[in-house]
Formats: sequence, C-alpha cells, structure tokens
Amino acid sequence: MSFRGRHLPPDPKKLPPLSFKLIVRLFAFTRPYAGIRNTLAALVILRSAQLPILAWILGGVIGGPITTGTWTGTWTGAIAFMVFALFVEATHVFRMRLAMRLGEAVIRDLRRNVFQTLLRQPMAFFNRTKLGTILSRMTSDVEAVRSGVQDVLFVSMVQVGQMLISAAFMLYYDWVLFSIILIMTPVVWWITHHFRHRISTATRAMQESFSRVTANLAESVNGIRVTQGFVRQEVNSGIFRRLVETHSRNNIGAARTSAIFIPLLELNSQFFIAALLVVGGYRVIDPQIAADPGNLIRFFFLTHLFFSPIQAIGNQFNAALAAMAGAERVFRVLDRQPEWQDEPNARDLPELHGDVEFRNVTFSYEVGTPVLHAISFIAKRGQTVALVGHTGSGKSSIMNLVSKFYLPDQGEIFFDGIEVRQIRGESLHQHLGLVLQQNFLFTGTVRENIRLGRPGASDEEVFAAARELDCLDLLESLPDGLETVVGERGMGISLGQRQLICFCRAMLANPRILILDEATSAIDTMTEARLQTALERLRSGRTCFIVAHRLSTIRRANQVLVLDQGRIVERGTHEELLTHGGLYSALCEGLRPATANRS
Amino acid sequence: MSGPVPPPPPERPSTPQTLDFADPDTRSVLGRLFALTWSHRFRCLGILLLQLVLLALGLLALGLTGLGVDVIRHAVQPDSPPPAWPSGLTPPAAWPIMGVVGGIAGLIFLMALFRAFLNYLYANTLAIFIQREVIARLRADVYDKLQTLGFRFFDTQPSGTIINRVTGDVQQIRAFIDGVVMQSLIMMLSLAIYAIYMVRLHPWLTLACLATTPILWISAIRFSQQVKPAYRRNRLLVDRLVHYLSESVQGIAVVKGFGLETFVTEQFRERNDEVFTQQSWIFKRVSLFTPFVGLLTQINLFVLLIFGGWLVIQHELALGTGLVVFAGLLQQFSQQASNLASVTNSMQQSLIGARRVFEILDAPVEIHSPPNPHRVSRCSGQVSFDHVSFAYANGENALTDIELDVPAGQCVAILGATGSGKSTLLSLVPRFYDPVSGIVRIDGTDLREWDLADLRRQIGIVFQENFLFSRSVAENIAFGHPAATQEQIERAARIASADGFIRALPDGYETVIGEFGMDLSGGQRQRLAIARALLLEPPILLMDDPTAAIDTQTEAEILAAMDSAMAGRTTFLVAHRISTLRKADQIIVLDGGRSVQRGTHDELMKLAGPYRNVAGIQEHRTE
Repeated sequence: MSFRGRHLPPDPKKLPPLSFKLIVRLFAFTRPYAGIRNTLAALVILRSAQLPILAWILGGVIGGPITTGTWTGTWTGAIAFMVFALFVEATHVFRMRLAMRLGEAVIRDLRRNVFQTLLRQPMAFFNRTKLGTILSRMTSDVEAVRSGVQDVLFVSMVQVGQMLISAAFMLYYDWVLFSIILIMTPVVWWITHHFRHRISTATRAMQESFSRVTANLAESVNGIRVTQGFVRQEVNSGIFRRLVETHSRNNIGAARTSAIFIPLLELNSQFFIAALLVVGGYRVIDPQIAADPGNLIRFFFLTHLFFSPIQAIGNQFNAALAAMAGAERVFRVLDRQPEWQDEPNARDLPELHGDVEFRNVTFSYEVGTPVLHAISFIAKRGQTVALVGHTGSGKSSIMNLVSKFYLPDQGEIFFDGIEVRQIRGESLHQHLGLVLQQNFLFTGTVRENIRLGRPGASDEEVFAAARELDCLDLLESLPDGLETVVGERGMGISLGQRQLICFCRAMLANPRILILDEATSAIDTMTEARLQTALERLRSGRTCFIVAHRLSTIRRANQVLVLDQGRIVERGTHEELLTHGGLYSALCEGLRPATANRS
Repeated sequence: MSGPVPPPPPERPSTPQTLDFADPDTRSVLGRLFALTWSHRFRCLGILLLQLVLLALGLLALGLTGLGVDVIRHAVQPDSPPPAWPSGLTPPAAWPIMGVVGGIAGLIFLMALFRAFLNYLYANTLAIFIQREVIARLRADVYDKLQTLGFRFFDTQPSGTIINRVTGDVQQIRAFIDGVVMQSLIMMLSLAIYAIYMVRLHPWLTLACLATTPILWISAIRFSQQVKPAYRRNRLLVDRLVHYLSESVQGIAVVKGFGLETFVTEQFRERNDEVFTQQSWIFKRVSLFTPFVGLLTQINLFVLLIFGGWLVIQHELALGTGLVVFAGLLQQFSQQASNLASVTNSMQQSLIGARRVFEILDAPVEIHSPPNPHRVSRCSGQVSFDHVSFAYANGENALTDIELDVPAGQCVAILGATGSGKSTLLSLVPRFYDPVSGIVRIDGTDLREWDLADLRRQIGIVFQENFLFSRSVAENIAFGHPAATQEQIERAARIASADGFIRALPDGYETVIGEFGMDLSGGQRQRLAIARALLLEPPILLMDDPTAAIDTQTEAEILAAMDSAMAGRTTFLVAHRISTLRKADQIIVLDGGRSVQRGTHDELMKLAGPYRNVAGIQEHRTE
C-alpha cells in the first residue's frame, strides 16, 4: 500500500519566500555531520572552478596550438585536459555522494524527531489532526526538504560558481564579446522566468484534473457492487469520459507551453552563435582590432557554461521554495508543545493496587463546553464499574480521564490515593489494560499483536494469556493460527476475533486496571458467548471500567454509574437501579434484545 | 524483530522484471503493442518525418557554424586550407569577407527560427496524438470494460491494483508508442546520420572517437539493472516506514494506553535506519556511475583533441567544418546514444503495464444478458432456488444444494454464523454470480434468460456496509435512476426514515457527502442506502444485515426504516437478532453453506437445533 497517493504539489504562488531563518535552522540539522558538510563545501567550490577550467583548456587547445598548427602544444594540452578531466570526475564522485548522504542523514533525523514529537502529543492532538496531514509531513514535506538539501543547495552553488568563473574567463579574453552575452542574459532570464510560471500553472491544472480522475476511479472501483446492482454503468462511463477528456486537454495545454519554451531557449542559443560569428568574426578580421581567432573558439565552449546555469537555477528555484515550505511545516510539528506534560515532580508507580477515586471532576475538550460536571465516585480495587448512558453522556470522557489521556479541568483523580498529576503517564499506563471500540490491530501476526501488551513477553506467555481466556482454540483455528497476519483492514478476520485478540493483549499486560469499551456491533451469537467467558476471566481480580452495552455485563458490575449530559444521575447495582425506576430502567429497555421479556 | 512486521510487499511480485522474448506471453503482448502502434502508423510517420527535418536543419546549422569559423580563419591565416563550400556553392569572390560571415550568420538564425517553429509543431502534434488518441481512448475503454466485469474479478483484485491499471499502466502502453517505437526509430536514424556525417569528415577519427560508445551502452544497461531493484526496494522500505507511522497514529490509544512509546520509537528508528542504509547503497552506485559517464565523454574529447588536432595540423581536416563540427556531432551523438538505456527501460515497463491492461481488456465478461433476453418491466417478485450450489474462486462450496421458494411479497430471513453463506445466497438473486449448479428463478424464469439490466432494476439492495458516492444526498438516493424527480427522492427518503435528518443537513438534499463533503453517521448512511434501494419501488428487496456495523442506539432507527421498506415486497433479510428474525414469513438457518433448518419462528422454537440455541443465548444474555 502506498500513501503517496494524492498529494498535489504546492501552488508556487502560495509558497512563502525564501526565509533566511528557515535556512539557518535547516542548516543546524547538518551539525552532527559537520565533517561531511565542510568537505562538501570545499568540493563545491572546487567543482565550480573545475568545469570552466576544463572548457577553457579545451577551447584553448583548439583555438591555440591546433589553430596555429603547433603539435607539441596540442599533445601537451590534450594530456593536460585528460589529467584534469580525471580530477574533475573524481571530485564529482565525492560531491554527489556526500551531498546525497548529507541530505538523507538530515531527513532521517527529521523523521525521527517528527515521530518522537508526535508521540509526546496528548490524545487531544490526535483527535483533532487528520491522519493524512500527519502522513504528508512525513512524506511529501520531508521529501521536499531532501531535494532541497541534496539537489538544490549544492547543485545551485556549483552552478552559480560555474557561471561566475566562466564569466571571468570570458571577460579576461574579450570583454566586447562578453558584453554581448551580458545583454542576452536578461532575455534568457525573462524567458525562463515567464515560462516557468506558465508551465507550473499548467502542470498544476494537469495534476488537479488527474487527481479528479483518480478519485472518480477509486470510487467507481470501490462502489462497483452498488453500480452494478443499480445498473448505472452508462451514467458512470459518461462522467468518467468527461473527466478524462478534461485531463487530456490539460495535458495538451501543458505540453504546448513547454513546446514553446524549450525551442525558444534553443533559438536563443542559436542567435548567440550567429551573433558571435558576426561580431567575433569582425573583431578577428578587422586589422585594427585583430583579435585572437582562438577566442572565438574558447567562447563557443564557455558560453554554454554561462547560460545553462540560468536555466538550471530557474528550475531549481521552485524546488527550493517547495523545500522551504516543507521545512516550515515540518518545523511547525517539531515546535508543537504538548498542551500539557507530566509535572516535573511526577513520579513512577512501581506498584498499583487499583483503588481509583474521582473527586468533583469537571472536564471539557473545548474550553467553555464542559462534558463532565462534578463527577465523584470511588472504585475499590477489584471492583467493576459499569458506565451506562446515551451517546454523548460522558462515558468515554471518564474512560479518557482514567487513562490519563486528558487531565481534568477541575477536581482530582486518585490512584491508590495519589493524585493523577503526580504520576508519570507512561508509568500509569504500565498498569492499564485497554480494549477499545475499534479494536485496533497493527499489521503483523496475531501473536505479535498480543505481545504488544508486554513487548518483552515470551511466546509461552502469549499462549498462556490466550489459554487463560479460554480462547486459544479460537485463535489457533485462524487460517495460520497465531501466525495469521492481520492488519489495519483486518482482512479475513471477524470482528469477534479481533476483539478476542485485544482481550488477549490486555490479559498479557496483566494490568491492575482494565478499561473496556464494549463492542456495540452485532457479533454472531456463538462468538459472542465465548467473548463473554473471556471477559469474565479478564475482569477477575482487577479494577474494571466498562462502557457497557450488554445487560449481562452490567448485571455483574459492583457499581453502575448512569450518566446523562455529563452528570451521574443514578448509581447503584443493577437490581437497586431497576427498582428505582428512573433513567436506568428506561435505558435497559433499549438495551434488552426483545426476546427477553416478550417471549 | 519482535514488533509487528511491516505489511507484505505490494501485489504483483509475479510479474517478471526482465524481458524474456522466448516467453510466448511476452511475444503476444509485444505483438499487440506493435499492432496498436501500427494502427496509428500515419500519425507516427508524420511525426517521424518532422523529426527528420529537424535533424537535417540542426546538422545544417552546425555545418554552417563550422564554415563560418573556417571563413574567418582563412581570412586571417591565408596559409590555412580554404573553406570547403558544400557542393560548389562558393560565394562570388567580390563579396567582402564580413558580408559572407554575415550571410552565414543570417542563415543560421533563419534556420534556428524555422527549427523552433517545427519543434513547437512536433511537440504539439505528439502531445495531441498521444494524449487524446492513445491515452484518453485507452482509459475510457478500460473503464468501460471494468464496469462490465463480474464480482469474481473484483473479489480477487485489490482495488489499488485496479486503479493503477487505468492510471499508471495505461501510461506505460503509451510509453511503448512514443518511448519505445518512436524513440528508438529516432535514435537509430539520428545515430546513423551523425555517424555518416562524421565518417564523411574522417572515418578513422570517427572510429577512434566512438570507441567508447559500446562501453557506455553496456555500463548504462548494467547500471539500470543493478539500481532498479534497489530503488524498488527503497520504495518498499519507505512505504513500510510510513505505514508504521500511520498505524502508530491510528492506534495511538493502544500505544499510549499500554505505555508503548519507547517500544514504538525504537521500532520506528529501526525502519528509519534501514531506509538510510539502503539509500546510502544506492547513492554509492549513482555517484560512481554519473561521473563515469562523464569521464567517457571526456575521453572522447581527449581523442578528438589529440587525433583531430594532429589531423588539423597536417591539413587533413578543416578547423571549423572539420574539428568544431566534429566536436558538436560527437556531443549530439553521445546524447542520443545515452537514450538507449531509457528505451530499454521503457520497453520493460511498457510490457509489464501492457500485460496488466490487456488482462482487463481480455477478461471474460462472465455475467451478461443472453442473445434474446427475457424482458420484463416489472415482475411480481416470486423467487425460487432450485438445488443451487455455488463456489468462489477457491473452489470450496460456499452454498450447497439450496432449495427455497419465496412467494411474491413474502419475507425470508437468513440466520447463520460468519462465513455460512448468507451474503452469497443474497448475491445470487441479482445475478452477481451464476450458480455452479442448480437454477435461480424469478417469476419462474431462469435468471440467465433475463435481460441483466431489467433483472437488476427489479431488485433493491442494501449492503452490510454501504458505499455512498461523493455527490449530493439527492444524487446518491437517485443513484440507480439519475432522472428521478425530487418528489420520488423525498418519498424514498421518507419511507427510509431519512427525510428528517436530511433536512437538518446544511444544504438539505443538496448536501455533498463522502470524501469531499460531510461525514454521516453509520445509521444515517444506512438509511440513505435504504432510500436508494427503494427509489424505484423494486418488487424485490435484499437487505444484508444492514445493522451489522451500527451501534445499538441507532439500530432502533434503522429497524423502523427496514420495517416500512419491506412492506409489500419480496424481501431477503440477513439478521442476527431473534426479534428481527421472528417477523419473517420463513427463516432459513445456514451452516457451512447448507440450509440446516427452515420454518417460521414458532416452528423453529419448538425444535431442538441451532435456531433455538441462538435464541437461548440471546435470551440468557438479556436476563
């Protein structure tokens, strides 16, 4: 699977200008590789002089000894050329290798830093931020930075140096001829600039229409069953055809733009050759000037080195802007301070018995809209607390607070009498076991997923956990037993089986506190029965918080908290509450699969 | 490695990565590609001709430049050989030297103008031809074909691969026309012309200067063979890295809840370093190859300097029309020669892509209307299964010997564990698949005799997880009948109890949903799906466990919608809850693809068997 799918390149008009601060900051990432960086800088300077010198030797030999017919000068010049060429290419090997290494090393560090920063963020960040956004920081943005370091920075430094040095050579040999070149420079610059803009606009249109084609296609393929079931093939074909046509029009438009641009540049260099012949020829032939005819030849070789960087730098300018934009977004992630962190004096909990107390807890996700009001309750070690209520009544918020995924706005939460803010989150989490609604599994085998509960556990312990929940046989009956590969999309594995794996994971963690968001979806009845048994075993001896959807689960709870709009409206055991005849008995009616009373 | 392993390598490992012309399959794909190119031969020929003219003009300009140099040199060094005017076109001796030089320069510029125009024409013609006539047409063809393919095809192909075939792989076919056939023709023509020009200037100098060309070719091909798999592996490693990040974010609650931060950071670092190490290997190769190619060019120039220089000194070669032109030719020759590697690359790529596209274009359409179909505008809705058995691609029977008769207007409910064949049974009714043996009939007529479109219009389908398209709510409801009136749409929505929430949406019925629009809740999506199924008032309704992915609270809303939807229609309903099942006129219990029990709720409750067991568990659970 690839996540590179649908990133549009940034619109050049919206890119921020080159920012010195960003460059400096990015540069700081090369500090661990100062050796490579400094060598590279030396190589860059070396190389920007090398190419013009090579062209100078070449032009010099042809325009000098060969034109005048001196054999000794010719062969010594040729050998000098070859020796220098060897040196040039050897430098090139290291210039390339080091630049690529440096770029790769920098983005490796960036990726690692981004990942660590992300993990430090509290839960709220992940609920707010779309996965796609996070991924594109790690893919397209980091890629842009890479090409910024690897290609743009060092290549354009070489290009600029090359331009300057060839200019110096030409100026030295014939300043009149060189001034012709100088006049042409703005023309080349303008053409490059103008068309670069037009081409990038055209390319963008092309990419946009392509992403519409792809999106439509993806829907058509994913919805093919619906399409065929509703006999809609022809309408879809028409829509697709129109999209493809627009896209091909955009493609042709982009091709047409560059079909003007590239011949125009070529025309330009031909014009220059013609001008060189006329002006240079005149200066050679005119007895009053009698310029060296060899200069003409030298110029033929050097002008190329002077003009091509203009084009190359123009092309790299966009990449440079994209790199800056990418770097800026990456740095914005790195600069993100978590809204809260463990207090500096928070301590580790080597042991936890599992007494939990909420004292007057008020909590809100967004400032001003509290979702929990003055919640107080005590869960003694080993007790099960069932949370019941409508969607949005605050059940999940209580779970989030017990997990220390969020901190309360007001009030305190105590674990074994220690306030939650005094406990390091990671240490508290060592004592927690979570089974959540979505039953998330990582790509990997069943065994590896269970082992996530305690990464150090042996295979034997993994089996033991499954055996203890009496579900080893169910897992072993999967296509490849515990080696069955499951993943994000959990192909070939049912909802019930996913949940069992999550139970085993929690079991292996052997937590003191179990947090369980019961599956609401219908699971086939046989698996459901096994799940209930497993849950019983998982619960025993632990403090449990369960968002309950099954009456059987609620009935076994020591304490039922009925929530409504963020407040505990009723509490007690199942029987007590039923006799009470309040919200709870009404809710029970809804929960109860109808057979119970009606048959 | 102890953590979760990375995703398995993406599909298509079986596609061969090297060319094997002995393979009859490769040969037939190649043959088809050539046939496709041949069908565009006049266009291709025209484009090729343009390219030839361009080539000739380029050479002419180069020759003129050399001539200019010679004219100037002869003027200042009268002992140097006189300029060699082509085919005796010597200018009158009366012309001043500067006039001659100016004339040559003017000619060069004129030619450049003409070349620029032709170049534009060339690029433009090529783009229009390739984009409009090749790519757009192929894409539309593949898309149309896709829409007719049966479900079996989609069951076995991951959607990503299918999408790639229409986008990327079609591009590969196009690359065969312009990147392989045209490019290699152009390459061969230009190389031949350059070589002839150079040989005419001086055969031995040509031989000496081109001596390195075979080395260039061999090393370029070997380099790309070496580095390509490395790049492929690199993409795989990067995908793995990103995948790990993606999972860590999606599973952040698990990561944090189990205190796994250090563990996943370590796992990420391992993958990150792996990418780095592998990249460094590639860099080493690349940073050796590029300068090596550069060196080859320098060697050619060295030979030119020493050998060509000697020839010029011996007056065997002119300076301008000889040496300078030769240097120019040499440069263009090596530019063209370096295209060889990219041509062989495109050849491999386009064969792989073409094979995948042809696979779709050639895939047999398993399900289609017979030649003289049974056409019906509206059936009564009586459905029967006559000893029906069915198997998916893996060969195991998913349904065995199903007997079923559902009178028009009745409701049949189906109960069974995951994989017992419930959805399969439903999918035989709209003829998404044909049974392996036995006959499914509607109103007494074998489905295979029906007109397929007519048949499917009789049937409304609500899937377990319903796919809605990124369009407006109204368009989604009218999906099967885009011409439906607003009134029809609203009526369907009302029956499906969806009207209320739709009106509460920001733009009501015009609210855009899906990827580019509003998110709907599971219950809302399912009610839209029910409305969509009801729009055409179908006599037959299939509901495949529409409450499966929905929580208990919203389930009640949907159950009500389902009840009113079913009224007056022959309904096939997959359900788990006894409370839903008991309303059916008949209930079938499936186990391993066989019907193990059937009857009404009351009948089945009297018998010991799976139905009563399930009912028992559900009852027990609620007490």
